[in-house]
Amino acid sequence: MDELLGEFISETQETLEALAGVVVAWEADPSDRDRLDAIFRFFHTVKGSCGFLNLPRFERLSHAAEDVLSDVRADRRTADPATVSAVLAVMDRIGELAEAVASGASLANEDDDMLIAALRAVDAPPVVETPVAAAAPQRRENAAGGMRTIRLPLTLIDQLMNGVSDMVLARNELSRKLRERTSDPELDSAFERLSACVADMRDVISKTRMQRVDRLFAAVPRMVRDLCRDLGKRIELDMEGGDVEMDREMVEMVVDPLTHIVRNSIDHGIETPAERVQAGKPEAGLLRLVARQSGNQIVIEISDDGRGIDTARLVRKALESGAITADVAARMTEEERLDLIFHPGLSTAREVSAISGRGVGMDIVRANVERIGGVIAIDNRPGQGLSIILRVPLTLTIIPGLIVRAGGQQFAIPRAAIVEILHENNEMLSITRVGGACIATIRNIRHAMIELEDVLGLPRAEMHGPRTIMVVRSSSGIPFAMAVGSVDNHEELVIRPASPVVMMAGVYAGMTLPDNGRPMLLLDAAGLANAAGLSLAADNGGLAAPDHDRQAEAGPEMIRALRFRELGGEERLLRLSLVERVEDIDAARFGMSAGRAFVRVDDRLLWVANGHHRFDTDRVTALRLRDGDREICYPVGRVIDIVEMPTVPDMRLSDGPISGVTVIDGIHLEILDPFVLFAAMPHDPVRDDAPPRCVLAEGDDPWAREMLAPLLQQAGYDVVIGLPEDAPLRPDDVVVSVGSGATDCLPQSHPVVRLRSAPRPSGVNDPTIYRYDSAALMAAIETIRKDRAA
Amino acid sequence: MTDPLYLFARVAGTPIAVRSEDVEAVVRFADISPVPGMPRHIAGLSALRSRVLTMIDIAALIDDRSASRLQGQLAIVADISGHSYGLIVESVSDICAVQQAPLPLHSPLSPAWAPFVQAIVENEGTAHLLVSLASFIDPALTAQAA
Repeated sequence: MDELLGEFISETQETLEALAGVVVAWEADPSDRDRLDAIFRFFHTVKGSCGFLNLPRFERLSHAAEDVLSDVRADRRTADPATVSAVLAVMDRIGELAEAVASGASLANEDDDMLIAALRAVDAPPVVETPVAAAAPQRRENAAGGMRTIRLPLTLIDQLMNGVSDMVLARNELSRKLRERTSDPELDSAFERLSACVADMRDVISKTRMQRVDRLFAAVPRMVRDLCRDLGKRIELDMEGGDVEMDREMVEMVVDPLTHIVRNSIDHGIETPAERVQAGKPEAGLLRLVARQSGNQIVIEISDDGRGIDTARLVRKALESGAITADVAARMTEEERLDLIFHPGLSTAREVSAISGRGVGMDIVRANVERIGGVIAIDNRPGQGLSIILRVPLTLTIIPGLIVRAGGQQFAIPRAAIVEILHENNEMLSITRVGGACIATIRNIRHAMIELEDVLGLPRAEMHGPRTIMVVRSSSGIPFAMAVGSVDNHEELVIRPASPVVMMAGVYAGMTLPDNGRPMLLLDAAGLANAAGLSLAADNGGLAAPDHDRQAEAGPEMIRALRFRELGGEERLLRLSLVERVEDIDAARFGMSAGRAFVRVDDRLLWVANGHHRFDTDRVTALRLRDGDREICYPVGRVIDIVEMPTVPDMRLSDGPISGVTVIDGIHLEILDPFVLFAAMPHDPVRDDAPPRCVLAEGDDPWAREMLAPLLQQAGYDVVIGLPEDAPLRPDDVVVSVGSGATDCLPQSHPVVRLRSAPRPSGVNDPTIYRYDSAALMAAIETIRKDRAA
Repeated sequence: MTDPLYLFARVAGTPIAVRSEDVEAVVRFADISPVPGMPRHIAGLSALRSRVLTMIDIAALIDDRSASRLQGQLAIVADISGHSYGLIVESVSDICAVQQAPLPLHSPLSPAWAPFVQAIVENEGTAHLLVSLASFIDPALTAQAA
């Protein structure tokens, strides 16, 4: 295709996308000149370009639309809904034509005449009265051109991304090789520099993949408008957070679920104006779309003030379809009832409508959201409205995962899917095998259990030590237990799509290439449950009951925890009872000694638990932790809140200082393990690195007083003139004597640096040092200090 | 127009030809990680720099046996509908242009090869089966053969 033509097509498509919202806003407020102008400009540009490029159909369409709009601009006609619809139809057609030109397909011609006729038709009745054009506030949108940009093919960015991934792998290999040989500081520092460059590069490249959520929202206003017209409803749309950025691929994956939820909300949620008035609500329904970033997740909330979900209806439906038994239904909590919305084949819609009742239910929405590592939550307020909250990872490509071993092979599984990990021999766990089925009972909750090797058809490898049982949350919402050989590691994994033939197995969600260069597969929890033949209905009947009983007994035991942000940015939790105080400390009080960070507070030195000792800011927020007798300091970025956390984390880990992960307000937070923190600290108190003391034995000697003392002070020693009479010498004090016998009272063991005034030693065994030989003097003092310290 | 370039290789004892534009590279792979739950002819995954390739043993597909995961096998690397594949071959003999147009298939092929062969290409007096790499990936065709 001609380059110019290609440019025209992609520009047209992009402008169309951006304009969809503008047209709707213009319809709502026809006096808004800015928006009218923007639309007019679009048609004008299209008309101009296609004369040049010889695209007669584009030209006819845009010309007709431009005529109508220029009439509106001249107040010769009003922008009534019919006009807006006609203009929109022309815009759609231009979009279709652009698509057709781009793909080289042909599009029937005759509809064009119809569309233009529609534009003209509404033209026919003369305008009776022109609405008094309210002094439209002059708003300038997109006035500032902003940054300079260029258009790049996506494949180029993907190539760049692959190139950088190659670089990272090469770097890792190099780092392995370097570790094998003796270290060379010069080589190491050059390598460090290279590493930093590669890391920066990777960050920047990942940014090119980011896109504003605006793009995700772009199609919504138009959809809302069209649906409202079809259904005779009135809806006010409120969108927020369009400037939040997320991964381009992620945007594409979220479009469908979002569209579906919005359709549902308009079709089933928000009532007709008449119904709303009856219910005492304003005639126009409210639909809010909010996007925000929360940690490494994007939260998209779709809320309306419609009728909410009728859970009683859901239960009736489920009973009718045989998905649950009456017995189960009677025991269900409200939450479980609401959860039925995600059950395949259930919908509360009274009748199948063209809008949303097309067989794609919330089960598909949930499956799609979960496939990309997201979570979907519902807040139902019957009669008041409904909020659906989608939480999706910031990028599709990097997810925290656990590496598990089964049948001699390693597999990855998304950490979000794991509820709990325990060893086979844990006493809270009992495994029973009944008629081929396997049931794991953990703290009185029964889970269906599968063995990963059996599901994958692998031989059970001989293993030392107990197997590991993981409680996995599948997309059907009912957790199951899965036994694996062991859990090897947890790390951030770069996930890429697997080829169709691999995906066909139904148990994989993608693949990843860890540092060791051996490809690894990412397991799909729902797929595994499916492959193992775990069925939802059976789970409901057999397992919901004990779960229910447990909840009746008592909720999970909660303790108070401090939620804080690490200097590195991660949010973590720590048992509040261990935190003695939170204080701001001068950054200058932190230091490093013998490879360990310490801090001076209240004239004492405390070890710093996380090794930080250099900070960007002058003052540092620090936690003081106490295990009863020892105290350590833990500098943090910021203290966020005090929260309730369950005593048993949602997921246990034993990975360094992290004892587990728990979910607070829908966010996964790591829990710091104070045991590991204290265990890692040396038992001795920090060696006092205050300036060492030098005691001048002969305080009254003028040379000692006037020459030696300033010299030592300059060298950084605390100088005590004269032997202290009331207090004993500290063991690390260095005594310097100019030789007149004042040191006789000292114990023999206390070393003394003796100086003499003669340049030459009096004999071969003379241990004294010439008093002007400052190098020998300092060396002697240092030697004694080292001996004492050791 | 220049004559089309072909890569000539041997699979399961049979000479084959592949259009060179379909071929990205021919690489000897050190090792292949197995993937449980796959059709028999899928050898597993291999890494080529930072790319992960799905390895397909064509000979296993033809002979209807399990894929071999020996070290150091030769494979044709190809990008097919956005995914990278390595198609294991026995040997690669030549890459050259062939003046003569591909000959249509007249004699019936063995049913094992039939789904994958498009024509015959002559090179240095030997007839090679012109295969489409994408057909080895196509689940409909491979399911039928396997």
